[in-house]
Amino acid sequence: MNWTGAVRTMLVCAILIVLHYTLRPLLAWRASIDFLIVALLLGSVRLRPGAAAVYGFLLGLVADSIAVSPFGAAALAMSIVGFGASWLKAVFFADNLALNGFFLFLAKWIFDLIFLIVGHRAIDPELAMQIFVWSPLAAAVTALAGVVVLSLLKPLMDVRTT
Amino acid sequence: MATAARYGSRVDAGLLVGCVVLSLIAVVLKDEDREPIASALRRSIVAPLVGLQRGAERWRSAWVTSEQRQLASDSIAIRGIKEQAALVENDQLRKIVGLGSRLEWGFIPAEAVHSAAPSEDVVTNMTLTAGSVAGVQRYNPVVAPEGLVGVVQTADPTMSVAILYTSPDFRASAMSADASAFGIVYPHTGRGSAAYMLELRGVPTRVQLKPGTQIFTSGLGGTFPRGISIGTVVSELKTTEPWTRTYLLRPSVSPSHVTTVLVLTAQRVTQGTGNVWGAAVNTDSATRRIVAANDSMARQAALIEAQARRAALDSVRRATIDSVRRSLGAAVVPEPTDARDTTRARRDSARADTIRKRPT
Repeated sequence: MNWTGAVRTMLVCAILIVLHYTLRPLLAWRASIDFLIVALLLGSVRLRPGAAAVYGFLLGLVADSIAVSPFGAAALAMSIVGFGASWLKAVFFADNLALNGFFLFLAKWIFDLIFLIVGHRAIDPELAMQIFVWSPLAAAVTALAGVVVLSLLKPLMDVRTT
Repeated sequence: MATAARYGSRVDAGLLVGCVVLSLIAVVLKDEDREPIASALRRSIVAPLVGLQRGAERWRSAWVTSEQRQLASDSIAIRGIKEQAALVENDQLRKIVGLGSRLEWGFIPAEAVHSAAPSEDVVTNMTLTAGSVAGVQRYNPVVAPEGLVGVVQTADPTMSVAILYTSPDFRASAMSADASAFGIVYPHTGRGSAAYMLELRGVPTRVQLKPGTQIFTSGLGGTFPRGISIGTVVSELKTTEPWTRTYLLRPSVSPSHVTTVLVLTAQRVTQGTGNVWGAAVNTDSATRRIVAANDSMARQAALIEAQARRAALDSVRRATIDSVRRSLGAAVVPEPTDARDTTRARRDSARADTIRKRPT
């Protein structure tokens, strides 16, 4: 990745992070869009897995510091998801929006799964409801939003590492 | 090359493990230990994001508040409209109750359901919620507190259909309030608001009605009883008829405002409705009754005076007879209580006294 591409990626990730803390509270949906996951995947696929894990860790720390959730849960989940996304970047970079959407969905669900299990520390019906109802819904919404963002920002990104 | 790749993989795995371990340490930290870290992040690197989130939440709460205010003002407006509708309905029901109490008997209350087809410009009929089971019959008049609404066209067991005065089939024999002018009321053939007007046709040319003159049913023909308000004269219409006049009437009842009506029974039509709608014709008839009553009182007074005069003459006559008797030396018969009988008895006794007895 050249410098121009890196700057563009950072810019897009910054926009997504800003959107996460502006648009998301405005919408206030029960199953909300997670722009941080989109930013994480977008950056991770352009980094080595180790760097992606660090990127995820830092992004997770930011999320943990602002949210009331258990500190460190998002950092752990995002580290794993970032590492996995970077490791699977060949698949992710397939020029297929549906496949990208599926991986966004999978990433968000895995993130929620790790985050909820680590955060709750106990399995109860509410956790099951969250994992099997609200998390898939949020993952679907995030995947949809991610696909839209990828489509819109494709001309700006214009980076292919095939 | 392969060694570098293996080294890179180890570094990646090491970084992942490091991140995971750090994250787990953060998770298992106690609240008092983790809060300073989170707070330091919020005050430094994450501060702009915190500011953005706070601003977005303020916008959100302002939007929700304004939405709630809008909802509250909407619900207040809806409540106001409903209250207004309830007041209008209450007023109509009060009027109907008032009409019912004035009529006292011979009517069937019914709700009026307007059944105008979308293609119709004018409402010409309405469905009533009372039918033949309740006593509604064909050609029964349909009235409202303000006056005449129409006439029942069909009466099913549980519902009936009435034609309004706007229907082309509607006719009513009518007269002016002072009963000086008679005619037939027809629906006015016009468009828009004029379609709800009426025409009073066949009024003799010698009779001229002023605008504002009240028109009532005349009771002729037997369909409508005398004295139901139909409308008021608006103006005279120019026609080709040389011997009669035609007047434009403003109906007393607006069909769109009618929700509850009374159907007058055939018996009530026969017996009349009296002065329910304040018809001057009824006042006139009342005046006639009062005049007639005065006449009978005068006759009775004259009769009493004549009797008194006759009694006075009788007493004068009696006094004269008594004085004659006294002068002739005859006994005076005491005066009985009953004047008529005493007269007769006195005549008899006078004859008996005055007849001289034959010498034996």
